[in-house]
Amino acid sequence: MSKLRQALESGKFVVTGEIGPPKGVDLGKCLQDAEVLRNQVTAINVTDLQSAVMRIGSLAVSARLVERGLEPVYQLTCRDRNRLALQSDLLSAWALGIENVLCLTGDHPALGDHTEAKPVYDLDSVQLLKAASSLNQGYDMAGHELESVPSFFLGAVVTPGAEPLEPQVIKMKKKLEAGARFFQTQAVYEPEKFEHFMNQVQGFKVPIIAGIVVLKSAGMAKFMNSNVAGISVPESIIREMEETEKENRKKKAVEIASRIIRQVKPFCQGVHVMPLGWDELVPEIINEAELGLRVRILGEEV
Amino acid sequence: MHATIQKPIDEISEYLKPGERVFVVGCGNCAAKCHSGGEVETKEMAERLKQKGVQVAGWACTGSGVSLCKLSVTQKMLNEDYKREIEHTDSFLILACGQGIHTVMDATDGGMVHPGCDTIFGGETVSDDFITEYCSLCGECIVEYTGGLCPVTLCAKSLLNGPCGGAKNGKCEVDRNRDCGWQLIYERLRALGRLDEMDKYVMPKNNSRWGRPRSLTIGEGEATFRSLAGDRKVASHA
Repeated sequence: MSKLRQALESGKFVVTGEIGPPKGVDLGKCLQDAEVLRNQVTAINVTDLQSAVMRIGSLAVSARLVERGLEPVYQLTCRDRNRLALQSDLLSAWALGIENVLCLTGDHPALGDHTEAKPVYDLDSVQLLKAASSLNQGYDMAGHELESVPSFFLGAVVTPGAEPLEPQVIKMKKKLEAGARFFQTQAVYEPEKFEHFMNQVQGFKVPIIAGIVVLKSAGMAKFMNSNVAGISVPESIIREMEETEKENRKKKAVEIASRIIRQVKPFCQGVHVMPLGWDELVPEIINEAELGLRVRILGEEV
Repeated sequence: MHATIQKPIDEISEYLKPGERVFVVGCGNCAAKCHSGGEVETKEMAERLKQKGVQVAGWACTGSGVSLCKLSVTQKMLNEDYKREIEHTDSFLILACGQGIHTVMDATDGGMVHPGCDTIFGGETVSDDFITEYCSLCGECIVEYTGGLCPVTLCAKSLLNGPCGGAKNGKCEVDRNRDCGWQLIYERLRALGRLDEMDKYVMPKNNSRWGRPRSLTIGEGEATFRSLAGDRKVASHA
């Protein structure tokens, strides 16, 4: 059983991290980023062609983490594969020692660097979860029996800051019914709004891990506010960043991220820290968020 | 209706070999509505080609509101009304949709054809100057669950079970000027008091019903849809 599953199912608070595979074949830097997270987090998400930019796949990088004794959360999107490829990649993942899978729709190719690509979306994220759950039961989507059976720990995503929120909550429920056993959220910058969301979905009784995107600059905040769905960085945080000298930005980034973690911790069952390249800050963020060593590795009773 | 848009004349000219005699064919129904191949545009195309030095054997367009894609219509028009011109043509330039192009091939016993338009989508003629797409011709209608709005067409990702996380202020992640299809569906179902429809799990599409080419055979009181999913025979008044 994966450490993430063990921790979440026993009701512990977890910290997860994230790495982005490179555009190329040298995994050196990417694996180094993962090493920084060793003994800091329970599991490490590996993104799947994030922002629809062509790069090395999440399956290969997840397998490399397994080899090194690090636990991946294999992100799998519906954008690039039909149902044959999705199911096959899932079986491959299990054969490579991958247990945690995060099932996502995936950014549209129009947002990436191959805008003329055919968007696949043969399945949506709910249907993908259902297909993966079926593999766990020993059957493929066509109802054919598998010769040997995986036991994936399936996750999904939700956007707590979406407006309106109701369609997100409706879909979240469908994901839950389709087999999602944990949820990761879009970046949270407004703890009050997050609390409101958590109140709405309390009845789902499923572990929810709050997304923490490390804010690097005021410009990044403004960009996200106008371009990224479900994210709104409050004016006060933007000002805080603006008033910070360039050389102190990283320190400020740590301060903001750890403060948000402390604020959301009472409402959720973990935080997913997305450092976007500032991976070296993760240990400090976790430290300042007052999440002890035991939390980092094994999760903590809540 | 099949929406079409005319190809640039320079692209069309390149299709024609020096000395090739071409007959221009238009459609009085969809292409006329799109101003890509009605009577006016067909005549104009014949004249523009002549000015470019192309040998034009003549031109013809089906009557107003009459579709070129009805084989019997096109057969009569080309083989009877324009019999003489057709005898002296090497090829046909069709200002209509892809179905019209094939209809001309069928009507002329395999005549050489050139596309004069790009066929862009099947749509609703909202007004004389606006046509837009609401159906993707998938062969398996699911709008019962979405208040009549098709997510296959209106959602950039054709998602069937609700919105992705990409919409911002009700606009799609691929284009912030474009409505999120699922936002429209959500608002409509809410207005209809049928939001419960959104709770239902929608199965993955049976893509074999999209398996081309497809056909429809119409019999006495029944019709048979043939696709890769096999034959689907339905009685129309059982």
